Amino acid sequence: MMNKLRLSSVFLLTLIFVTVIALSGCSGGKSAAEVTPGTDNNSSKSGGSKDEQVTITYYTIDSEDRTFVEKLVPDFEKEHPNIKVKVDKAPYEQFDSKLQTLIAAGKSPDVTSHYGYGGFAEYYNKGMLLDLTDLIKEDGFSAEANNIPDNLIKIYTINDHVYGIPLNMYVTLMLYNKDMFDEAKQPYPTSDYEDKDWTFEKMVEYARPMTVISDDIAKTQYGLDFFWSERDNRPLYFGADPYSADTWTNGGVPSETYFDTPEVMAAYNKLFDLIFKDKVSPTSEWSKSVAGQNGDPFVAGKIGMSVGGSWNLAGANDFPFNIGVAAVPWGGNDKVRSTLYVDPLFILKDSKHPKEAFEWIKYLIRADIQEKSIDLSGGNPPVNTEAAEVYYKHFEGIDPQDIKNVYEGAVKYGFESFNHLVTNYSQINDMFINEMQPIETGHKTVEEVMPVIQKKVTDIIKR
Amino acid sequence: MNTVPVPKRRAAFSGSGSKRKASTTQIISFITLIITTFIMLLPLFFMVSTSLKSKREMLKFPPTFLPESWQWSNYTEIFDTLQFGTLYKNSLIIGVVTVFGTLISSALAAYGFSRYRGKGNQLWFMLLLATMMLPYPAIMIPQFIFFSKLNWIDTFLPLIVPSFFGSAYNIFLLRQFFSTLPEDLFDAGRIDGCGELRMWYKIALPLSGPALATVAIFAFIYSWNDLLAPVLYLSSTERFTLPVGMASLTSSRFRIPPWHLLMVASVLAMVPIVTLFAVAQKQFVEGIVLTGIK
Repeated sequence: MMNKLRLSSVFLLTLIFVTVIALSGCSGGKSAAEVTPGTDNNSSKSGGSKDEQVTITYYTIDSEDRTFVEKLVPDFEKEHPNIKVKVDKAPYEQFDSKLQTLIAAGKSPDVTSHYGYGGFAEYYNKGMLLDLTDLIKEDGFSAEANNIPDNLIKIYTINDHVYGIPLNMYVTLMLYNKDMFDEAKQPYPTSDYEDKDWTFEKMVEYARPMTVISDDIAKTQYGLDFFWSERDNRPLYFGADPYSADTWTNGGVPSETYFDTPEVMAAYNKLFDLIFKDKVSPTSEWSKSVAGQNGDPFVAGKIGMSVGGSWNLAGANDFPFNIGVAAVPWGGNDKVRSTLYVDPLFILKDSKHPKEAFEWIKYLIRADIQEKSIDLSGGNPPVNTEAAEVYYKHFEGIDPQDIKNVYEGAVKYGFESFNHLVTNYSQINDMFINEMQPIETGHKTVEEVMPVIQKKVTDIIKR
Repeated sequence: MNTVPVPKRRAAFSGSGSKRKASTTQIISFITLIITTFIMLLPLFFMVSTSLKSKREMLKFPPTFLPESWQWSNYTEIFDTLQFGTLYKNSLIIGVVTVFGTLISSALAAYGFSRYRGKGNQLWFMLLLATMMLPYPAIMIPQFIFFSKLNWIDTFLPLIVPSFFGSAYNIFLLRQFFSTLPEDLFDAGRIDGCGELRMWYKIALPLSGPALATVAIFAFIYSWNDLLAPVLYLSSTERFTLPVGMASLTSSRFRIPPWHLLMVASVLAMVPIVTLFAVAQKQFVEGIVLTGIK
């Protein structure tokens, strides 16, 4: 009996052991060093260069418009035989948690951007970013030589220290459904930012004849959908400042916010009037029923004009109707008509090969590579102005001159997005979405909600 | 003689009357069931229907009920866009081995908890159940550090090996089942000179088909749907699992997700679960009845 017992235990243990070994065999094709960012103990592998071989990791979102960089890696490695680039990725929703886990475990990637929910300020305030100033000096890198407008470099410069190099630049623009305009026999809106007639009021006038409200949801359509920047930014469009001016010099921590002032509330009322008074814009429920939770009813052909981020343009070649681009009309703020969403590349503080990582960054912003990236990504807007011409021509059926006008105007009247620069921004954004819900559904007024928001914003910023 | 059949007939008549009554309720409940089934199946129907639509048709509102032009090519396209075959294979390998590991380890631990009494027996069991209260994100980082020290990152090991150490829920489920087995069986086994391990796999396991099937299905579904752990541990595309690949389709903040392809992937991802459930259905239902767990 004893023997039998022993035999069975031995059998069981062997079974488990063999399975584990077999599995490690079938899945462990790569050595950990190749995968693990920042380890350089695989120097003997491949390359054949005299220099020490290092592997850097570029961490990005697992979606076609980001992982296209994998196709750029072979050329880069040919140019830099001592550097290997490993692209690590995660779906959008899990981007932040994977990054935090990697950093906590000492496996920090070398290069990444704020592709998840968090913005630059969160990375900066948590001390995750490497100060690039010395690297830039040592390398002789200049924004000018890379055709990056000087004001864009300044966005990620704090107290004369550079923490990020711009890669892509999205702006606010207006997309319009040409088919709907034709049907309403209306002239197309202008792409010229200097056209003084093109105002917010004029836009509402344009939207009226295209708005059809019917009991039949299939027939209902609206003239306008206005998603100018994030909810907290919107008063700025009408000339009302929601955050104090020191936000940008204070590491993304505003000393004051003004969400309960009459100017800011008047601005919000003007926006909600589009839905409830002018009735040219849909309620959020209607949008959700037509296009799903995060969908856009413009894509379903139910909206005449849509003001939003230029990423909407990236899907343009797939839209089942003809579209055009137009300038964001003048709303009352002489300086700001567009939000700039400049995505930078960072080197993380724990990077063991910052020099090599910087080579990779420089490669990605080079004019020819930026040009290549537009096509590979399906329409990511380059930050390098030399590559911009290629971007303007990328979209079928849209006049490149219009896109050029709109982009140049948007940069001239642009303002870097708060969501990259204000601290704890993901919490602020969530709070705005929740608190503004009752206004959007018509259950509460702006005057009732804004004092609550003002208090909550102050609390979040203090954290 | 003649009078006798009358009450019988009456009885028969009233009997059939009550039968008719029963059948009206039956008909009503049947119709309700059919309607409910239809409503429940509607999302499934739309999943299959969308999976056969073109990219342009998918954007239409109101959505078309049946595809205008049937795009069977979507089912081949998914293999080009996603390396679907590789993802599927990876998920299957991880799923099957996880089921195997969970069954062995959980059944062994559960057997111990149900058959042996010792000092602190109850305490250990409570401790085991307490581990159920720890959410995964709470242990995520320490576990990651541990596995990365073992150089297991970007291998299947962190996703598989933990299943060989049992899981509280499954141990609890099996322990409840093993406790219902009569002690006499094991006494008989002992008298016949059966060792403890042998009693486990010769007596306890063969009698526990339904409970084991339940555990197997739960373990497989959990592993099949798991997203966070594979996202953390895997970094090479050729080792990704199905949920990771599918999440990448909706990952872009800037593009309209290819819902039609995502639906193709969902239809295909459903196949193993539906098959497993169809095969183990009888056992599964019995398992729920016997262990009293819903």
